[in-house]
Amino acid sequence: MDMTVASQGRVDVRDLHIRFQSKGRDFEAVRAANVHVRPGEFVSLIGPSGCGKSTLLNAVAGFLKPSGGQVLLDGQRITGPGSDRGVVFQQYSLFPWMTVRANVEFGLRMKGASASDREAQARTLLGLAGLLAFENHYPDQLSGGMKQRVGIVRALATSPQVLLMDEPFGALDSQTRVVMQEILTNMWQRLRISVLFITHDIEEAVFLSDRIYVMTARPGRIKAELDVPLPRPRTAEMTSSPEFAAMVKQIKGLIREESIAAMGGELSDGGLVGLSTEVGPQGVGHLV
Amino acid sequence: MTAMSALPRIDNYLPPAAPAAPKATQSTPLTHVGQGVTPLPLPLPACAAPSLWQRFWQGRGATVLMGVISIASVLLFWQLATQYKLDAYIRFNNIPTPAQVMEKVIEVNSSPKFITNIGISVRRILLGFLAATVLGVGLGVVIGRYRWARALAMPALEVFRPIPAIAWVPMSIMLWPDNEVSIVFITFLGAFFPILLNTVHGVEAIDPVLLRAARTLGAGEASLLRHVVLPGALPHIFTGLAVGMGVAWVSLIAAEMISGQFGIGYFTWEAYSLISYAEIALGMITIGVLGLLCSGAIRLLAKLVMPWQAHSTGAP
Repeated sequence: MDMTVASQGRVDVRDLHIRFQSKGRDFEAVRAANVHVRPGEFVSLIGPSGCGKSTLLNAVAGFLKPSGGQVLLDGQRITGPGSDRGVVFQQYSLFPWMTVRANVEFGLRMKGASASDREAQARTLLGLAGLLAFENHYPDQLSGGMKQRVGIVRALATSPQVLLMDEPFGALDSQTRVVMQEILTNMWQRLRISVLFITHDIEEAVFLSDRIYVMTARPGRIKAELDVPLPRPRTAEMTSSPEFAAMVKQIKGLIREESIAAMGGELSDGGLVGLSTEVGPQGVGHLV
Repeated sequence: MTAMSALPRIDNYLPPAAPAAPKATQSTPLTHVGQGVTPLPLPLPACAAPSLWQRFWQGRGATVLMGVISIASVLLFWQLATQYKLDAYIRFNNIPTPAQVMEKVIEVNSSPKFITNIGISVRRILLGFLAATVLGVGLGVVIGRYRWARALAMPALEVFRPIPAIAWVPMSIMLWPDNEVSIVFITFLGAFFPILLNTVHGVEAIDPVLLRAARTLGAGEASLLRHVVLPGALPHIFTGLAVGMGVAWVSLIAAEMISGQFGIGYFTWEAYSLISYAEIALGMITIGVLGLLCSGAIRLLAKLVMPWQAHSTGAP
């Protein structure tokens, strides 16, 4: 399969506001967020849990209507869900009553593709993900990592302009996660599709992304935007490079402040007020 | 190689073990492609070889043997109770012996009357049950999926739901132009509510993320109903069908006994009127066997229609 640099797949989130009404109370999930994904770029959105990063992705997917601002795909306003944006969910979301291949073919079937086209496309992508041997299995017969690979392949099958991934590896154990990250970066390297990737795992974001947005605690705003200087293609060895470590450390610092804010604490020069001052950089991992 | 010199420094730098883990796996990523799926032929956790007795209990033979013992003891009790005319509050004085019933089986099968009765009952069940399935599933999907349909239909349905199908017998006879239709209607009513309510529940229980996933893959409302809502609700629908089939038989037999001509329920009631004790028992046994066959047919259908269910518990 040739490397084809995507000419489309530009996502522009401009001054996005999202408010919810819940139990009579109005709360703000996202405030004035600006996020851009250039064609063929891998962009991560990272922040403490509950910061509204999934909400932002849901607005791009078309599940939510913005309360203010614009969400554009290649300059067109997004009005609802559509197969031009492939979505990978954290909870796999495979149809249990369909075989692996039928799951992958579903989007093409909705487009009215012929059975032979569907099969050819599905098998190509399943081959790329190392899943061809499991095409006739049902999702319940697969491990979590395999299910999520099927989820990615299914989202890619309709040749979307952009792939939206909502903490796709969040439900996996750490070993599988690392392998999945390598598989994903290899697939991305071949397909060069635009990706908007939601995660709370800093190493994951640094390893996969070209650019990272760091979000604040609720209401979610964009706190920082960072370029990842690591070369492509990414390899597992890079995670032990000084650049990688420095990047992770920088983001940890940014998120730490937000996590503490999200927990209702205050940060002073002497450390975290109300918590032990021994909570240093190593402790942040537990806070996040 | 170049990374090697940097390694110790970084390891000191980042004591948490999380980034160190991938290094163990990085050299051979391909071995992880089938991870968690191909089980290694690991020996069972240390345990003594199963004794002959244990192996017997785990085998199929034990199941069959217990089944035979279970049924044989019922027959034995029946035989002894009727042979010695057991009379201890419950009275076996007029109850036929198994042998008498067996004779009756041979006798009734020599004339077409008995078979005709069975055929008529089965036809009533099929018609009523089929109508209940079509209407119950159809209405159930609409009610489960659309809030307006639920708000509109459920209050009216809740009024009728607590009324047992048998209570409809007199009204049904007045409603329908002929007796046959009114019996099918009673059967229908019996099956309808379990099927409807289970379908509604099944539709509501579908994980909303599946609906979202289908939407992002380009599914419109019609495709969503056909490819996601209906198959997603199938396990609950089949629960409704199994329960509905049971209630349909109860309703049918009662309707046949009260208002009927023909049918196995009528046969059984008529035997009572004619003081033909063996035929009463035969009618009961026949009803039991027919009910068993019908629920077996539904289980078989469920297996054929939902092949994925066979795997849903076998996940590694």
